[in-house]
Amino acid sequence: MIAKKVLLVGNFGVGKTSLIRRFVLNQFSEDYISTIGVRVSSKIVSYENQEIKLLIWDVAGTSEDEKIPKAYFLGAKAAMYVFDLSREETYLKLDEYVNKVKELSGLKEITIVGNKKDLLTEDELLTVKSKLALDIDLITSAKENENVENAFLKLAANSLK
Amino acid sequence: MKEETVDNKKDNRFELLRELLLEEDRDKFTDLSNRILEKESLSEKVTPLVDEKIEDLRKNFPAYFGSTITETIKVQIRDSQDEVVEALYPIMGKLIKKAIVSEITKLSDSINKTITEKFSMKEILKRFFKGKKSDADDVLQEVFEPIIEEVFVIEKDSGLLAGNFTRGNIADKDMVSGMLTAIKSFAEEAFSKEDQNLEDIRFDSFQLTIKNFKSIYIAIATSGVINNEFREVLADNVNNLAEIILRDRDYLSDEVKLNVLIERHLID
Repeated sequence: MIAKKVLLVGNFGVGKTSLIRRFVLNQFSEDYISTIGVRVSSKIVSYENQEIKLLIWDVAGTSEDEKIPKAYFLGAKAAMYVFDLSREETYLKLDEYVNKVKELSGLKEITIVGNKKDLLTEDELLTVKSKLALDIDLITSAKENENVENAFLKLAANSLK
Repeated sequence: MKEETVDNKKDNRFELLRELLLEEDRDKFTDLSNRILEKESLSEKVTPLVDEKIEDLRKNFPAYFGSTITETIKVQIRDSQDEVVEALYPIMGKLIKKAIVSEITKLSDSINKTITEKFSMKEILKRFFKGKKSDADDVLQEVFEPIIEEVFVIEKDSGLLAGNFTRGNIADKDMVSGMLTAIKSFAEEAFSKEDQNLEDIRFDSFQLTIKNFKSIYIAIATSGVINNEFREVLADNVNNLAEIILRDRDYLSDEVKLNVLIERHLID
């Protein structure tokens, strides 16, 4: 079985951990994670008749001032940038954040996911989309388990490229 | 009208004089008297209120002053640590002494057992050929024998586990290797100067020794007392293991093959 390191990045409170909780079972305590700013989980996924072990690094924050060790981004084969559809501050500088992740990880392609769809109406969702500087790949709701599996499958697919 | 006598006129004059002279004193007397009466009246009204307030304070003292007193005690303890230690020592000291005595008794039993075994005829003969190791080393080695509990061979950047050995039953060794890599990166970026690496982590009775190589690092969790001899042998074995892996990178993509190699070089 092949194993790949993949990243989940995005601001605090956008629902990265909830997405992972939907997808895998976590065992590390919250206190510990908040101290070092990363949580590593593993999950085996099947993609095109192939089993891939994903080592998902859930990195809290991306910007310089948040003091996230750059080493967390090294050796990753794919990355997912998650933002909160209901909080403008998490996507206003989307292109800037995504470029930062690209720069730190050396990855050319980042999967962009808008989470917490359940908090918006259809009209509000359209308004949010019109404000985004980049095209998004998936819209998810960790709470209602919508598109969560697809998001991680896309991540797995990107890790094989 | 009856005419007043001369004497009577005289009396009136005296009365008039007295009134003139004592008027001020009389006013003072009246004022003092009023004040006393007023105090008595006030006391009758206030006493029940004061009694009620005292009773309220008695009942709710912790709620009213608890936090202030706690804070004061904290400050007092912080500023007078020596006095606090002196006050607590008779209580704490006994407990600590009891715990130490219990542990020393266990240690003593263990050492006695090892010494008895060491001074058997078979062991005495062995000692003639044992080389530079002292008897103390021998005894300590037996009592707290260092044991390799876990070995992780991990890819440096990605934190992916290439191979491992375990005596226990780790639920998710991939997650452990990932978190170990994250902790290592965090510690190195937070505390290191230039290119220094995290090499040791201690927790409970375990020691995690980390040996860094070009593209991998090897983490070895050991229990027991690690003496210099064990450390040197372990370092040699780990270096040899890393050399073999780095010369033949196929080991990094074949976990089963690597696990056999780890056991052969570090455990057997």
